[in-house]
Amino acid sequence: MSSTRKAAPGQLPQWAALPGLATALILTGGPLVVVVLFSVMTQPEYGGGVVWKLSAEAYRRFFVDTDFLGNTSFNTAYLSVFGLSFLLAGITTVACVAMGFPLALWMSNQSPRAQTILVLLVTIPFWTNLLVRTYAWILLLNDNGAINSATNAVGLGKHELLNTPFASGIGLVYTFLPFMVLPIYALLERFDFRLAEAAYDLGARRTTVVRRVIYPAARPGIIAGLFLVFVPALGSYVQPALLGGGKSLLVGNLIAAQYGEARNWPFGSALSILLLVVVLIALLVLVAWSRRTGTKVELT
Amino acid sequence: MSNRSGSAALRRFPGMAPIAWFSLAFLYIPMVAIVAYAFNSGDRALVWEGFSTIWFTRIFANPEIIDSTIVSFKLAGIAMVVSTAMALGIALVLERWSTRGRVLALSLITAPLIIPEIVAGVATLGFIRIVGIHTGFLALVLAHVAFCIPFALLPIRARLQHIDRAVFEAGADLGATDWKLFRRVTLPVLMPGIISGALLAFIISLDDFIISSFLSSADSTTLPIYLFGLIRKGVSPAVNAVSTVLLVLSAVIVTSTYLLTQRRDRT
Repeated sequence: MSSTRKAAPGQLPQWAALPGLATALILTGGPLVVVVLFSVMTQPEYGGGVVWKLSAEAYRRFFVDTDFLGNTSFNTAYLSVFGLSFLLAGITTVACVAMGFPLALWMSNQSPRAQTILVLLVTIPFWTNLLVRTYAWILLLNDNGAINSATNAVGLGKHELLNTPFASGIGLVYTFLPFMVLPIYALLERFDFRLAEAAYDLGARRTTVVRRVIYPAARPGIIAGLFLVFVPALGSYVQPALLGGGKSLLVGNLIAAQYGEARNWPFGSALSILLLVVVLIALLVLVAWSRRTGTKVELT
Repeated sequence: MSNRSGSAALRRFPGMAPIAWFSLAFLYIPMVAIVAYAFNSGDRALVWEGFSTIWFTRIFANPEIIDSTIVSFKLAGIAMVVSTAMALGIALVLERWSTRGRVLALSLITAPLIIPEIVAGVATLGFIRIVGIHTGFLALVLAHVAFCIPFALLPIRARLQHIDRAVFEAGADLGATDWKLFRRVTLPVLMPGIISGALLAFIISLDDFIISSFLSSADSTTLPIYLFGLIRKGVSPAVNAVSTVLLVLSAVIVTSTYLLTQRRDRT
């Protein structure tokens, strides 16, 4: 596409983009600037908000623990919250690849009519209310829910499934599985499977075909899926709050608590900035990976 | 779509089908459970006492559910119209720009897709406090419009890329004024993209809980915020029924959007 200053027929004058761009600049850019500013300000004595006095306390608090005598020590509590979030988001992502890649490959091998229905089936959960999807697992994992009733009936007894990190993990995989399936499927749907046939004819084994023929074709979709799953999982709030029972506190819950009951907006802002930094690093790693492997990834 | 030797290849990937079926079951068993329990007649969410639609009648008679639903639909309606109009303006101007300008503008507009929602929520709360807007319906509208724009934009841009520019030139050659060209050519050919963009914006707004929870006030409680409060108290037949209604609603919206994009592919 070439760039022209003069409008071609059908294009609109420049001002038509102004409302949208201004909205994005003010309402997406503005809050980010505010969060950066808040993170280097002082917490007021009472209530939320900030006192406009520069302070590095919010970031210091993340790493350093000060007791009531003024002794300081290295604080690992908040780092471990980030660590746990990272771990849970990582496990979620791996589980989504393990389930999503086979599903996408299988879908792309069905008849066109079946593919249409299958895409719809994967898309509907994607657009269903997040709270509804999370609540469904409360129903299933509950002490008297379907899973416990079933295990109890066959003599395996009841287990506490709800309010565990395991439940948070299930909820996260459930929420984000379509994010992994759809970008992989979008590529495999266009893939010419005669290439796989050719590889078999040349004597390649099944694992070799998947690794050397299918995987390279699906790689941009996998990379996009990794990002689309990992990032929102890292900042998740609803699943750990409703399914984790507050036992597995993640970054998202910690940030919400600072703006809620803890009333420490500067610390909440500092945590937000640190989370954004981790997200950016994840983005850069995936971009570097896709560049190195020569794949073009389109997230939007 | 042209990989019709696929069925032969499939026989070569025997491990995939069981995992695929497992994944599909994983996606749908929870939904089926909600819908099934919603038709339970009893007061307890998990003990089956017979088929009944009583809970649907009860939730539609619950003023808190009705009020929060009205707030949610008003909010989603406004966010849909405003963000789709803005997205259309952006889409029709963006292609005039240099690649660099376009990438810059798109990164700004699509930033809400990358920023964790919890961060967007607290950041917007801080922002409205600084500019002097109270939490409430206006704050919700502003935030929802901002995060709906990228969702409205994607299908419109996709549609635009499928269109032969010659239709615009033909219109201009036949003497259509700019306004006439926009109304009689641009809008009709983009309509499938505009409608699916609008529906996605609507559903995204209706779905949002995290960002809204920081911006709502007592008289602007949205349905997801009310639902979150209910779910916190535990399983209940009322939540089963509300969830079922929301589930059916998104299934209908997604299916119609999908049929629209299918028609696009065929033309």
